[in-house]
Amino acid sequence: MGIRPIFSALLRNRAGAILVALQIAITLAIVVNAVYLTQQRVSKIGRPSGIDDQNIFAFWVNTYQKDYDFLGMVREDMAMLRQMPDIVDVSPMQQVPLSGSGSSSGFYSLPDKKGEESPANTYSVDDHGIKTLGVTLSAGGEFDASDVEYKKEDQKEPGYPPKAIISQAFAKALFKDEPALGRNFYDDQSRPIRIVGVISHMQGSWVGWDKVDRTMLYPQVGPYGSTQYVIRTRPGSIDRVMANVEVALRKRDPNRVIATPMTKMSDMKRRSYSSDSLMAVTLSTVTGLVLVFSSLGIFGLATFNVNSRTRQIGTRRAVGARKLDIVQYFLAENWIVTSAGVVVGCSLALAAGYWLSTQYQLPRLDLYYLVGGVLGLWVLGQVAAWQPALKAAKVSPAMATRNV
Amino acid sequence: MFAYYLRLALASFRRNPGLTALMVFAIALGISVCMITLTTYRAAANNPAGERSGIVFAASIDNWDPEEPYEEYDKSLAPTMLTYRDARALHASNIPDRKVIMYRSGEIYTRADKGMDPQYFATRMTTSDFFPMFEVPFLYGGPWDAKADAGPEPVVVLSKEANQKAFGGINSVGKTLQWAKREFRVIGVLDEWEIMPKYFDVSNGAFQKMEGAYMPFSWGQILELGSHGNTNCWKTEVVDSFQAFLNSECIWTHAWFELRTAEKQRAFREFLDNYVLDQKKHGRFPRPLNNYLYDVDGWLKRNKVVGDDNKAMLVLAFAFLAVCLVNTVGLLLAKFLNAAPTSGVRRALGASRRDIFWQHLTESGVVALAGGLVGGLLGIAGTWALRAWYGRFVDEALRALPFDSTNFLIIIAIAVAAGVLAGLYPAWRIGRAAPASYLKVQ
Repeated sequence: MGIRPIFSALLRNRAGAILVALQIAITLAIVVNAVYLTQQRVSKIGRPSGIDDQNIFAFWVNTYQKDYDFLGMVREDMAMLRQMPDIVDVSPMQQVPLSGSGSSSGFYSLPDKKGEESPANTYSVDDHGIKTLGVTLSAGGEFDASDVEYKKEDQKEPGYPPKAIISQAFAKALFKDEPALGRNFYDDQSRPIRIVGVISHMQGSWVGWDKVDRTMLYPQVGPYGSTQYVIRTRPGSIDRVMANVEVALRKRDPNRVIATPMTKMSDMKRRSYSSDSLMAVTLSTVTGLVLVFSSLGIFGLATFNVNSRTRQIGTRRAVGARKLDIVQYFLAENWIVTSAGVVVGCSLALAAGYWLSTQYQLPRLDLYYLVGGVLGLWVLGQVAAWQPALKAAKVSPAMATRNV
Repeated sequence: MFAYYLRLALASFRRNPGLTALMVFAIALGISVCMITLTTYRAAANNPAGERSGIVFAASIDNWDPEEPYEEYDKSLAPTMLTYRDARALHASNIPDRKVIMYRSGEIYTRADKGMDPQYFATRMTTSDFFPMFEVPFLYGGPWDAKADAGPEPVVVLSKEANQKAFGGINSVGKTLQWAKREFRVIGVLDEWEIMPKYFDVSNGAFQKMEGAYMPFSWGQILELGSHGNTNCWKTEVVDSFQAFLNSECIWTHAWFELRTAEKQRAFREFLDNYVLDQKKHGRFPRPLNNYLYDVDGWLKRNKVVGDDNKAMLVLAFAFLAVCLVNTVGLLLAKFLNAAPTSGVRRALGASRRDIFWQHLTESGVVALAGGLVGGLLGIAGTWALRAWYGRFVDEALRALPFDSTNFLIIIAIAVAAGVLAGLYPAWRIGRAAPASYLKVQ
């Protein structure tokens, strides 16, 4: 059977068909872009941090008394904490990765601001930084105890210590693919810093930064009279350790402020990604709802068409159409409506994709998503029209002879 | 007549309860998704300065790296913070009605009599005009004056929360606190005060908690208190002391000016340009002259307080509502056309086209109203769930999501308007149909 009778039947109830096509068009535009955005957010959230972020917590320790021996306090706290059960290791750090708060500086591969230039998130640690963060070294080793600069409050002169451990991504930004271990790089005052270790992967503080994996550890404690303690625990013991550490630190020396509640790195991470996860959840919920409503719309139109054409279906059956012909007729009709919607929807989707790419400086909408969306909607349309089409096929040829 | 139409509508709903429920539900979901996003959007897009928005200005002068733009996405923009010395220089101007320079710092506070556990309060180093300019409410005492700025006098203003922690919430005016190894006298205690977004310091977070204490700006220099907020530097210079830091090209302070007349605003713009031109003679400000004076509204936009995500979600929500409405129009049309023979009978018995039209419009109006009400309740529940679910992690924008009765009414109005609009075409189509065509087959 040709397609022309289907068209002329459709034209008799234009409004219904146009409404469903319009609905499909908007649906395609929403779904394709929402899935694209969701996929980007989900893969961003799922990136590995390189850090043992599920078993780490951190908190501030502030001192306030005159002539208080801050560096002595840090040393004694570290010695005590490293003896405690279920603690893998601990290090004093001014800033914590994944927290949304951090410092960055620009560095150069050659003196006098020459060669390659790259910024890096910088973190102060003592000689237990690598083990505390649980990052993997691809070359070199942890800082020696003698590398660590303990600076008093009146030693605020600027500059980094002469040794650093840097991430592979930062090394690559400075030296391309040449081995970085043992080489020097330079700050903006041309002071050399020697690379004593390379971390295979470690994220910094700002998850929205495109250079989040350029990180650097430097061995320094002080000079500010306050620091964070970063503690890595054995898996499953973090809550117990948090409670024990608070009690133990207050007992050892009550004359400083331990900032509570202490924060788990997993919570910092969730917080840092919260807008991404909120966006992903909202987008996928709306996508699901839009698909449900579109199928209901298609189903509704098909049911209406079947109901209002009962007599015609009966007539066709009476003059020899098989059940299969009737099913095919309604599926074909649905396919035409869906296709019309899809054609309009493609341009809507591309327009929305263009608008989003200017909003977010994202790559333009990937055309595979559009193709997937079109195929998906065709299938969805056929599935939604399936039941009404079967119902139509059940219409008895005797209907042709009855009124109504 | 309207009551009769209502009865007809109810009878019609009873005939197809499933279809009716589907239509109500479609509108309700579309409406609730819109309501949730609109609430989030409005929380971020709020301008808390109200009618003072147009006379309170933030200064943004282009003292930045000649090689690199301050903002990658729009190279014409100037930095949103000032260097310490520029803040000082602008504060010296006599043109503004009020002027404030400030930054965020903080230290541990203690009481000599050990009446409190040592506590960290985030502390705003600011000048006396801060309190009247931002309409800060006082519970006890009051702000310090310009004389205390100049001294500076050892005075501190506490937030209500900080006063609760330090003194158990009593009228603590006149009592002393130790801070950064000095004694400070409490001169005032604030009442509850929260501004969303916190427009006077968006560089440190538009939804950040208010500070616990406020102190004269000049103490920063004396006590060598750095910024506990963002600090951005571009220039290669040796910063080996706090004084060198204050003299450096690092930006970390904010300046606000109240300029009540257009003349003063123009004069102050001129003052900014002249100041920068003069500094250029001393080898500073290497970029072309590019200064801005933003009113509060402009400042919120400049700082993108309403995020891109908020906008995208709002567009998405309304596109979703559009799908729901188109869906409802389609269902209504199908339903009305199915019941067309009944209308044919009514027409044959003497009902006018207009009667049929209004009858059907009433029916779709009732569907829309029901959808709007259910959607509104879903929206409230959804907003609440979102806050409960994400409150611990998400931006404080969500923590403070207001229940807004205006929002609720706007949404219901949109729902009814949209529903009536959705009913217009089907109602018109049925009203127009010739009765005979439906009577023939009966």
